[in-house]
Amino acid sequence: MRTPFRGFGAVLYKEFIGVLRDPMTLFFMFFPPLVEMIAFGYALDNDIKNMSLIVYDQDRTVESRELVDRFANTGTFRVTGVANSLDDVRTIMRRGKAWAALQIPPDFTRELHAGRTAHVQVLIDGSSSTPALQALNTSRAVTLRQSVVALLQESGRTQVPVDVRPQVLYNPALRSPNFFVPGVIGVVLQIATTFASAMSLVRERERGTLEQLLVSPLSRWGLMLGKLTPYMCIGLIMAGTLFAIMHWLFMVPIAGSVLAMFAATFVYVFALLSMGLLVSTRAQNQMQAMQMSMALILPSVFFSGFIFPRETMPWIFHEIGYFIPTTYFIELMRAIVLRGASLQEFWINVVVLIAFGVVLFMLSALRFKRKLA
Amino acid sequence: MPTDAMIECEGLTKRFGHFTAVDHVSFKVATGSIFGFLGPNGSGKSTVIRMLCGILQPTEGTAKIAGFDVTRQTDEIKSIIGYMSQKFSLYDELTVYENLTFYGRLYGLRGDALAKKRDQLIAVTHIEPFLKRRAAQLSGGWRQRLAMACSLLHDPKVLFLDEPTAGIDPVARRELWDLLFEFSSRGMTLFVTTHYMDEAERCTHVGYIHMSKLIVCGMPDDLKKLPEVNPPGTKRLDVTSEHVTQALQIVRHLNGVRSATVFGQSMRLLVDQSVNDETIRTQLAQANITNVDIRQISPSLEDVFVTLTANREPEKQKEAA
Repeated sequence: MRTPFRGFGAVLYKEFIGVLRDPMTLFFMFFPPLVEMIAFGYALDNDIKNMSLIVYDQDRTVESRELVDRFANTGTFRVTGVANSLDDVRTIMRRGKAWAALQIPPDFTRELHAGRTAHVQVLIDGSSSTPALQALNTSRAVTLRQSVVALLQESGRTQVPVDVRPQVLYNPALRSPNFFVPGVIGVVLQIATTFASAMSLVRERERGTLEQLLVSPLSRWGLMLGKLTPYMCIGLIMAGTLFAIMHWLFMVPIAGSVLAMFAATFVYVFALLSMGLLVSTRAQNQMQAMQMSMALILPSVFFSGFIFPRETMPWIFHEIGYFIPTTYFIELMRAIVLRGASLQEFWINVVVLIAFGVVLFMLSALRFKRKLA
Repeated sequence: MPTDAMIECEGLTKRFGHFTAVDHVSFKVATGSIFGFLGPNGSGKSTVIRMLCGILQPTEGTAKIAGFDVTRQTDEIKSIIGYMSQKFSLYDELTVYENLTFYGRLYGLRGDALAKKRDQLIAVTHIEPFLKRRAAQLSGGWRQRLAMACSLLHDPKVLFLDEPTAGIDPVARRELWDLLFEFSSRGMTLFVTTHYMDEAERCTHVGYIHMSKLIVCGMPDDLKKLPEVNPPGTKRLDVTSEHVTQALQIVRHLNGVRSATVFGQSMRLLVDQSVNDETIRTQLAQANITNVDIRQISPSLEDVFVTLTANREPEKQKEAA
């Protein structure tokens, strides 16, 4: 009778029925993460296409029109309007109606044919840095290419002197969903599971049923494990759903083993649920549990490398990332999903996640007092 | 170890910061008795129960249940006690049947043993028709029966009931007490807190706690014979008449009347032996109150507690000063 997990079966029985009968909790565990996943997945798309470009063509020749076409053909730009004066250009840009403007001066064709440098001006709205950078690079590439072609014709060579053949591995199209979506899964899983487990014990405290459990021979380990297990099942089902969305909605190819993904999710969710339980041993009511969970979730959004690469962070924030389970999980997911890595190759991440889980679980069980305050 | 005492506590004290919730309480509860624990709200009743159940650490003093110490042997105690808290701690989302199953399993019952015990309690509490109903949809009386069944699945030696009848209808209240007597007759010790004096009268033993201190403890009949409750040279009268509130005003001003309170159609008086029935009748007749019926009565438990509490008041004022 005196097993360390006594009462586990009873708590498991009650929790499973409780979870299944509580459509509100199930809904709030499942629905927001799905919405967040889809929203994040689309919103974080960094691939910039079809930026609006206005053209102020003072030259109006075949050559100038060809230049405009070259800009449009990159796919980065889309000609949305024509300006008739520099003032016009400035007004349109200031109003945010266009990301970039291409100004072709009246002597463009003449200078080109005379073998002199023909000048064109590209104005870029720098208020959002990522699209601005993309616009800058594209416009440079377009003009550089045209210059190279012209030089080749004049020199009589048919080949460029140096040719780079870059090959991008794992994400050849450099699609940003491939980078972001595995990270989104890490964050979204955390939001759902941490809240759920943080609430569960606090709710018993609020309803007064905790007192009833305390007078019974239920052991702390039995209680904690019984509370955790149903949410673990929900977490894994949710992860499966998120993997499906990642693969079939965001078209992220899965290079590694799906089993390894679930194994990684299992140890990660265990760590998250234990963290939630630790919160619930501390919080006196659901409000406090919410705030404490939020305080634990926020850093992982910023410092886990989910959006911002950790390598570019100031060292202090980079270090903070080491104390967040999500950091290890996201690294692991990207490795498995994108690079087809095995768990063995990332054993450190697996071990760290297991350590997080075990330590947090033990802390929450030991912190849980079998007496009232 | 005296075998006949199921619960023993000695100098039991609980302080929360500067507030003393329970102040050196000592009493014994004999095996198989029904111990009624009375006192106003906030007097420390629930705190005593929680300490006896091993979920609250006493600041001072000792308590034992069936010889097990409540601070050191909590595991032993937890499997022999049942506890029904004020709020009937049931799981609303579970059905009646599932609540019973859960609590049975919590105490390590499974398989046939669980089924047998569950059926037995379903029969005793007559809750059969509601087995598939969620606990949330039960009325107060049925909730309380279910809570009781849940706390009895593991055959506890002692059952603690913290205000089990608060807020339920009189019929359910009567039925609960019938159940309690049945369990008591099987040898279970019951520890019940209550506000109701009529419930206190049903107990084999009562204790009264006021301002964190146990004022009196014993069998109801013994308490009613206490000299403090029956001052020498006095008697208690029950006077039934018309216009009882008006009559009260008159009687209060008579010589030799020490106290008077109204009980529905009658008043209860504590008077000197010298006061005779005729004096009262004549006085009331002058106010055109007739049909007066006077009987000598023994004190009720309420009289006992009121008198003892009143006797404490001067002491308290002394303490305050």
